[in-house]
Amino acid sequence: MRSRHSISRRQFIKSASAAALAAPLLLAEQDKPAGAPSGKSKVILMRDLKVMDENGVPRLPVVQEMLDAGITALTGRPDPQSAWKTLIKPNDIVGLKNNRWPYLRTTAEVEGALKKRILEAGVKEANFAIDDLGVLQNPIFQKATALINARPMRSHHWAGVGGLIKNYIMFIPEPISIHGDSCADLASIWDLPLLKGKTRLNVLVMFTPQFHSFGPHSFNPKYVWKYHGLMMGFDPVAVDATGLRVIEAIRRDFFAEDRPLNPPAKHIAVADTKYHLGTADPDKIELVKIGYDKDSFV
Amino acid sequence: MNVPFAFILAAGLMRLSAMPEIPIDFNRVLPETIAGWTKSGPPALYTPANLSKYIDGGAELYLSYNFKGASAIKYKDASDMEIAVDIFEMGSAADAFGVFAHSRETIDAAVGQGSEYAAGLLTFWKDRYYVSILAYPETPAKKDIVLKLGKTIAGAIPQEGALPPILALLPVENLIPESVKYFHHYIWLNSFYFLSNENVLDIADDTPAALGKYRLGSTNAFLLLVRYPEEARAEAAAAKFRRMVLGGAADDAVPLKEGRWSGLARRGGRLGIVFNAPDAAAVRKILASIKD
Repeated sequence: MRSRHSISRRQFIKSASAAALAAPLLLAEQDKPAGAPSGKSKVILMRDLKVMDENGVPRLPVVQEMLDAGITALTGRPDPQSAWKTLIKPNDIVGLKNNRWPYLRTTAEVEGALKKRILEAGVKEANFAIDDLGVLQNPIFQKATALINARPMRSHHWAGVGGLIKNYIMFIPEPISIHGDSCADLASIWDLPLLKGKTRLNVLVMFTPQFHSFGPHSFNPKYVWKYHGLMMGFDPVAVDATGLRVIEAIRRDFFAEDRPLNPPAKHIAVADTKYHLGTADPDKIELVKIGYDKDSFV
Repeated sequence: MNVPFAFILAAGLMRLSAMPEIPIDFNRVLPETIAGWTKSGPPALYTPANLSKYIDGGAELYLSYNFKGASAIKYKDASDMEIAVDIFEMGSAADAFGVFAHSRETIDAAVGQGSEYAAGLLTFWKDRYYVSILAYPETPAKKDIVLKLGKTIAGAIPQEGALPPILALLPVENLIPESVKYFHHYIWLNSFYFLSNENVLDIADDTPAALGKYRLGSTNAFLLLVRYPEEARAEAAAAKFRRMVLGGAADDAVPLKEGRWSGLARRGGRLGIVFNAPDAAAVRKILASIKD
């Protein structure tokens, strides 16, 4: 039985490693994402065994508690309301980018819990929208001053994994145009004028992450893992990189061998080394765990 | 436009061969109703140009195996649950096998020439067709329907297809059969062992490649075989591999990391590379066992 515990930095670099064999994983100077004054990107992992009912449906009150605990830990504020006010202003126009893949969604519960706090921060309901495939046509997203990025983590046939960085692919008219080289340049999307600098929070849904793709629709319930978690951070690369470590560890546990994602999740490391969107280096990520910690894999 | 899938198949076949073949109308072959499930409409048809509209993010796997066309047929029950039948016509039987083997975990031939069933999803291949039938969430009744539909489709495909010839070169001793992969796109090089994000071995449509896992005691070693159309390309790929992965070593077996060994051997246009072997002797034994 393979270890269920954390993987080493070396192992991570191999799996995320994009920079291929020669290129360094990190640059000497990186853009510091907002909210990371220590120089490290803070990633909050919240887990609660009660977050889903016996049918796998998320329980809204538990989801709300987890997100509230996460946002206060992330911002250092004493309560979720004051925490959200550091992110969102009442006059903001806010788009919540979700993911509606039919087999593994952001979930209505996560969306509802986020919406509640955003409206409490003073945003008018008319200035708030949730969308995925229609973001380019959605008037709220077209004039958004703030974005919240929330989606599940899953293995992906062509990008290695689909996570926060990849979730913005619908902001380009022809998503398939970015698919070359196993979606390596996904982070370039984040530099588009419509998006640049607008993302206030990233939430990676890890209730039941999918760790292996099988079949044309990439989904098989055999390959989802009850992780009961949510991850949150300002730096999408750091959150994705941490989620990727979990996915890789689950694969080692499930397959009882080192089974690399195929193709590797190259775009996460490239988001760091080429686009400087954030950091993929575990040594530059401050991971804060809240709640259930058994078999967290990180 | 509701172009009959049979037409797409026929057009594809005309391109491939002057020999006329009778196209298979899978929609006609499949029953209108089965155990309370009814077809929800005519099949949706997809080509390489629009497959990504149907399986966003998953299309590249099929395109990398010369995807020609697909037919998607849905069954619904009274509560609007769905069974999704997807039939993919690939460029060849070898390509259909390649897609199937990409994610298989077990050896089973209950349906077609190779199949796998897990938690409501049946996949199988036969001749140049790769088929997926998904009924989620799984129930015993739905499993029965899925298998019946699969056998109906397999029965309508008149002949079996040939496995990729390069697979026959893999040594059989210690080979884990379900591990065998076939591909001709570099992106699938890392299926077992992370080698590189770059196309260090110049793998392309004209270089069929096979990958197999070998159980050596407590270690799994991997053998990659690539057949190049010209000896010079094989030699260039070998030289690049030596330079980028083996640190320029000229030996046929080289220690890399964590006590694992790698090595390569070229014979004409065929290149064999062993990864993750426990020692130099294991590298040499596998390389020497590659069939001609």
